[in-house]
Amino acid sequence: MLKVEKLSCGYGGEPVVRDISFTLSQGQRLVLLGPNGCGKTTLLRAVTGLLPSTGLLELDGRDLRSLSARERGRKMAMLTQMSGTGFAFTVWETVLMGRYPHLGRGVFASPSAEDRRIAEDCLKSLGLWAERDRPITELSGGQLQRVLLARTFAQTPEIILLDEPTNHLDLKVQVELVEQLKDWSSRPGRAAVGVFHDLDLALSFADTVLLMDRGRAVYLGSTDRLDPALLSRVFEMDVPAYMRNSRKRWESMGE
Amino acid sequence: MRKAGGKGLALGLFAAASLLLGIGLGSVFISPAKILSALTGGGDEGTRALVLGLRLPRVALAFLAGAALSAGGAVMQSALENPLASPFGLGVSAGAGLGASAVMVLGVGGALGAFALPAAGFAGGLGTVLLALALARAFDSRLSSVTVVLTGMVLSLFFSAILDLMAAMNPDYAQRIGLWQMGSFAAKGWQGVGVLCPVLLLCLGVFLSRARELDLLSFGDEQAQAMGLDPRRTRRFLIALVAVLTGTAVAFSGIIGFVDLVAPHVARRLFGAAHRRLLPAAALLGGSFMVLCDLASRTLASPREIPVGAVTALLGAPFFIVIFLKGRRAP
Repeated sequence: MLKVEKLSCGYGGEPVVRDISFTLSQGQRLVLLGPNGCGKTTLLRAVTGLLPSTGLLELDGRDLRSLSARERGRKMAMLTQMSGTGFAFTVWETVLMGRYPHLGRGVFASPSAEDRRIAEDCLKSLGLWAERDRPITELSGGQLQRVLLARTFAQTPEIILLDEPTNHLDLKVQVELVEQLKDWSSRPGRAAVGVFHDLDLALSFADTVLLMDRGRAVYLGSTDRLDPALLSRVFEMDVPAYMRNSRKRWESMGE
Repeated sequence: MRKAGGKGLALGLFAAASLLLGIGLGSVFISPAKILSALTGGGDEGTRALVLGLRLPRVALAFLAGAALSAGGAVMQSALENPLASPFGLGVSAGAGLGASAVMVLGVGGALGAFALPAAGFAGGLGTVLLALALARAFDSRLSSVTVVLTGMVLSLFFSAILDLMAAMNPDYAQRIGLWQMGSFAAKGWQGVGVLCPVLLLCLGVFLSRARELDLLSFGDEQAQAMGLDPRRTRRFLIALVAVLTGTAVAFSGIIGFVDLVAPHVARRLFGAAHRRLLPAAALLGGSFMVLCDLASRTLASPREIPVGAVTALLGAPFFIVIFLKGRRAP
């Protein structure tokens, strides 16, 4: 679905990401891993088209950069860390906005019955239907992020890009969100690429890892085959030892 | 839906009542019945002259200017994803003031006659916003809302300083410049109405046709783009149009602050944030509010007139605080 070859990009002429290549096929969940400043978010922004880049960037065989904003919006959606707006749109209005790239081109084009049905289904599947008339400014962080997830689903994209979507959320909400995203991407014709703040959560979400160090890819492959020693070298700490200690702490708790 | 319809009807009645009050009250009281008969060509000649020649053009201009400033403010706040943004803050007023003052002091624009001042005000307002956008773009190719707001603010302060300097260096014109800066609807005739009415209707129509884009822009660039919008292009177009609309209004009324900031917030609280309802509501509310402020400006200290800009701030500030804080306190 998505093909990236020798992609380089950065800010102000200084490349942050260099020569990254990967492909994303149906049902795949790719996670970008690496320490702060390694270029994960920059790469994600380049894939959305928010940031200019060089190299090949193809979506379903078409140059992604040649697509109009609406065409891109029909194929690709993005969920960022909790960030609504200060303006009090209702939950329903917010989720219906996800249908924007599918609306007709007419000046006063409005959502069709089909658009409304899709938005309704997304709200119901995430247990938000009862909240549809509430202003999003009154929601808790977890509720707001679920509304934004419903809006992302309502966009009916092929690929969802995730930029640390679980930040600032309670553990339970984080786990639920990851499960909902896994469930979504397991359906035919869908895939996801994500950056997660939490290493454990990232590995539980993804089946494929792109490990980055100083803007370059150092590993691209399945989550199972990721070499812990490589992970430790990139993160400049003994990652497995940290995880083991953490686990021990839990196992000894309450003894 | 029925609730929104009820609120809309109430707002329509409020607007009609404020118009009737604005025309009816003053040195001579004119009853609603007399106003209606004067409007339809009946009644005595004196009342007709008073209504059609004096009160109605003044009230209509106040309503249109209030509606233009308020709708412009609502668009500006959403397009810049900033509840504190306003045409005033982005330099429309300072630029318009500078343009108008230049005409007063330099005495140019004779060929345009009575339109010289409004034309200069309009050009100054629009020019300032376009300059702010161009400067913001030079510093930040993504044209983020923070850059636009900051650039507008700096330009606004810079032009206000030049305006003060001009007034100080030309004491003969200082009073005229000062009065223009405080805004007034006195003795403007039908000219302003004739120009502002079509501009307002056209701009409102375009804004409404972009209501969905404005909804998306309210969520910021990243989210708007992810939903399939080109935020930069849309924002540039909408802000330029706000500058045309509010520049035209300020050109005829002089500088009147606060309405463009307050009325959109009150409209959002009553009608929600979705622009297809917000924009007409903000226009009606801003128009009615301006008519009532103008009424206060000419009646409270009659026969003297209080500058209408002072009234909008004096009435608007406490009203805003009550509405805003009441909403905040709610669970």
